[in-house]
Amino acid sequence: MSEQASITESKPPESKPWIDDTQQPFIRIRNITKKFGEFIAVNNVSLDIYRGELFCLLGGSGCGKSTLLRMLSGFETPTSGAIEIDGQDMAGLAPHARPTNMMFQSYALFPHMSVEKNIAYGLHRDGLKRKEVNQRVSEILTLVQLSDFAKRKPSQLSGGQRQRVALARALVKKPKVLLLDEPLAALDKKLREETQFELVNIQETLGVTFIVVTHDQEEAMTLSTRIGVMNAGEIVQIGEPREIYEYPGSRFVADFIGSVNVFEGQVTEEDTDFVIIRSPEIKADIFVSHGVSCTSNQKVAYAIRPEKIRMSLERPKGVKNLLSGTVEEIAYMGNLSVYQVKLATGKIVRVTQPNLVRTDQNSITWEDEVSLTWDGAAGVVLTS
Amino acid sequence: MKKLLMLSAALSMGASATLAQETTLNIYNWSDYIAEDTLEKFTAETGIKVVYDVYDSNEVLEAKMLTGNSGYDIVVPTSDFLQRQIAAGVYQPLDKSLLPNLANMDAALMEGAANYDPGNEHAVIYMWGTTGIGYNVDMVAERLGEDYEVNSWDLVFDPETVAKLADCGVSLLDAPTEMIPAAMNYLGLDPRSTDIADFEAGAAHLEKIRDSIRYFHSSQYINDLANGDTCVAVGWSGDVFQAMARAEEAENGVEIGYVIPREGALQWFDMMAIPVDAPNPEAAHKFINFIMDAQITADITNYVWYANANAASMPLVDEEITSDPGIFPTPEAKERLWGATVYDARADRAITRLWTRVKTGQ
Amino acid sequence: MSGQAKLSEKLPEKSIGRLPFAAPLGGALARLGLGPRALVIAIPTVWLLVFFLIPFVVVAKISLSEVAIARPPYLPLWEWQDGILSLSLNFGNYLFLASDPLYYSAFLESLTIAGFSTLFALLIGYPMAYMIARAPGGMRNILLMLVILPFWSSFLLRVYAWIGILKTNGVINHALMSIGLIDEPIVMMQTDFAVYVGIVYTYLPFMILPLYANLVKLDETLLEAASDLGAGSFTTFLTVTLPLSLPGIFAGSLLVFIPAVGEFVIPALLGGPDTLMIGKVLWNEFFSNRDWPVASAVAIAMLFVLVIPVMLLQKAQQSDGGHS
Repeated sequence: MSEQASITESKPPESKPWIDDTQQPFIRIRNITKKFGEFIAVNNVSLDIYRGELFCLLGGSGCGKSTLLRMLSGFETPTSGAIEIDGQDMAGLAPHARPTNMMFQSYALFPHMSVEKNIAYGLHRDGLKRKEVNQRVSEILTLVQLSDFAKRKPSQLSGGQRQRVALARALVKKPKVLLLDEPLAALDKKLREETQFELVNIQETLGVTFIVVTHDQEEAMTLSTRIGVMNAGEIVQIGEPREIYEYPGSRFVADFIGSVNVFEGQVTEEDTDFVIIRSPEIKADIFVSHGVSCTSNQKVAYAIRPEKIRMSLERPKGVKNLLSGTVEEIAYMGNLSVYQVKLATGKIVRVTQPNLVRTDQNSITWEDEVSLTWDGAAGVVLTS
Repeated sequence: MKKLLMLSAALSMGASATLAQETTLNIYNWSDYIAEDTLEKFTAETGIKVVYDVYDSNEVLEAKMLTGNSGYDIVVPTSDFLQRQIAAGVYQPLDKSLLPNLANMDAALMEGAANYDPGNEHAVIYMWGTTGIGYNVDMVAERLGEDYEVNSWDLVFDPETVAKLADCGVSLLDAPTEMIPAAMNYLGLDPRSTDIADFEAGAAHLEKIRDSIRYFHSSQYINDLANGDTCVAVGWSGDVFQAMARAEEAENGVEIGYVIPREGALQWFDMMAIPVDAPNPEAAHKFINFIMDAQITADITNYVWYANANAASMPLVDEEITSDPGIFPTPEAKERLWGATVYDARADRAITRLWTRVKTGQ
Repeated sequence: MSGQAKLSEKLPEKSIGRLPFAAPLGGALARLGLGPRALVIAIPTVWLLVFFLIPFVVVAKISLSEVAIARPPYLPLWEWQDGILSLSLNFGNYLFLASDPLYYSAFLESLTIAGFSTLFALLIGYPMAYMIARAPGGMRNILLMLVILPFWSSFLLRVYAWIGILKTNGVINHALMSIGLIDEPIVMMQTDFAVYVGIVYTYLPFMILPLYANLVKLDETLLEAASDLGAGSFTTFLTVTLPLSLPGIFAGSLLVFIPAVGEFVIPALLGGPDTLMIGKVLWNEFFSNRDWPVASAVAIAMLFVLVIPVMLLQKAQQSDGGHS
């Protein structure tokens, strides 16, 4: 994850067209709605995606992300709204007439064709000369490292190889936009992690705009330039992975992406550079060291990630946010451990600690009385 | 009064049935060849239940007889087939003491039948008839002219004439031993010849007219003639008359004629016989005797329009039938009739093979 | 935990208690070296032996005999006389088949008629099977039911119904003449056309059902993928649907072709004298010509000409399927 973070963050500012007002979006989705009978699958979604982006649509099952993708590919017709790709209106265009290609979740490889025939399929449809077809197929096979498997049938390949064939088959057509429906879902965890980076590398090499649909927040974080979090047919937040993680705009996003502790409370003091929230749940006041657009007495929620909380056996002095409780459960995850600390009010707080040393001597263990503390800027105040 | 009669008939039927202990008689006869009430009357009289199956070709009957264990008590082969099957040991001699009605039979016709079954040891004539031409009067007139007189085999055997009729449907019997000799006769050869060269000549002539033939079948033509689906059929006298009756009944405006052509025609006898392995020969004898009853046989003739060989029944047969030269040929016509020949295995194989060739056009 | 342990202890006791009936039978079979597996193989083997191999040997025997007007209508193959067993094998029937073009033509025409009927059944059946496979759930069952429905009435009755429809004074001619499309009735009965109609009509369900079973399994995302890669619907059909449904086409075609080759009733009732099919020739040999030896020779020859290539073809396809 840290590696990926460096990829995204190492991008110079000019590669973030979404913060540059002079840039034109490559894909414009305007007020798209899709109804299946009475059911609203996608509800009035508007979205701009820029050239060269790897944009993730993230959400749980049934949130509408796949329907949105299928409307982009042309398999579904929007009930209302418009889609524009590279300045061209997509209304009424069949899938094969669109500058998009799709990589299916099931890969949808033609079982009766060899790897090279699968890949050449789309090129033949474009009426390319055999020589050019062969050349492009062998290029893309090299790119996905499958040159030795050209003559095999899909049934003779491993899951990871099939995934790469599906990717190659979609990419070989040099689409303006590649649509990927859960591209990694069928792979096991280890392979998935490796493939994530491969996918990013290929995308950066070719510069094709990728739109990825996934339910896996970790995958979305690793892959994307930006994430659009969807819930119940609507996009609830769009942002870069760090933005989505560190500054979730709603309880849904905070909850959906990563793990979070949410304390319900009420604003008791509100100033330009701090806010105090009283939370009966934890029987404490929370100090927020920056201004929040809210009013006094407003009911809010305070969200704080487990890794942002410090835990100690001794009670620290002179700190603003301080809770105490008993360690109830410890989950050892290798790189870190997750602790569940029960407060006197009964509220459970999750805390993660990196495992800095290899032994467990002197470390905090079950039933220990611990103090929890965090910085005034560590959490997010959620008003919705 | 009528009701009372029916009731008593039903009673007696039930009574005799129980007496006879559910005896069953299995009959295998030609299709469309019995009066509607004959079997009922037989059961009423004897209490013997009848299972009645039909066929439309001697060949099929012979195939079953030679296989053996057919389960039939009575079968009705045509005279020439009968003779050969007797030689193969298919039939049992009749017990004439069980057949008092033999006295009713026409002595001259029985003598004719004795040519095939010496001494009438194995079989009794059921019906007899000729193989002539049935035709749709209007359709033929329409194609050959109002003045054309249908009295010759020319109608089917002259290639030019028959070609004019092909569109309205011409059919031949699927019976090699009747069709090939008829063609031989038309060519001036002896229809009773067993010379293979003569067969070949007859078959060759049939091949000349084959393209004008819609089908070869021995029973379908009855309905097809009656409905106007075909216009000319070489057929058996009674069957053509049945077609005539059916057309009249349907009031469909189809008028059918039957002619024994002036060149002559085959005269045949269908003979009731009892297979050696008949399960119930006693009942079979009862049935043969029952059929020879003057009234019963007259009823059948009145229904199927075939001539019978029962002298005692003649006064009971409808005038309309006895006076029809198509059914009871005039003495002059009789002169020109020929009887069927019996073929040995070699001739039989030759004639059936030739027939297959004619039928299939190979 | 302890409850579970008790339960698992109890189970074997109970099942042992129930076994006494089965045990002796299983034991006896085991002593004979016949496990349940052997039994599963033995039943179809015995079935084939009794209902295929023995009749086949009987027919083969008759085919080597000589025709006679006797009961049964052929001469015995062997005779035991004065302590000498004399065996007479007559290959003349086979030579006769080879010498008479009738049989060759009949085989050829049977194959032609069956082949074209299969093609027509495929052309008609494929769109129907496709439509049924793509129909929504409830509709699909109704449509399948309609395909199978004709089987509920007698086959002969249905063929006779066709006679009523096709004959000169039949339904079609009446309809065409009453609307003034034709003046003279069209002769359809006793033609090859009627035979094709009869065979295609009769065997269509045998084409539709395996095709349906195949097409209903077709992954729709493959069609979407083809469309996404630039194929129009016809190209998608040709390059994806059709090749993937080949096993269904093969199964359906065999189910139509094999019985159609040997078909007797349809050419006999609907066909004319020109319709020369092997089934009719066989019938003719048995019943009209009463020549059992030749009839048997035709049957044996037919087996070799038809069944063996089909078996080889099937085997080839199986081994092909095994590779991929």
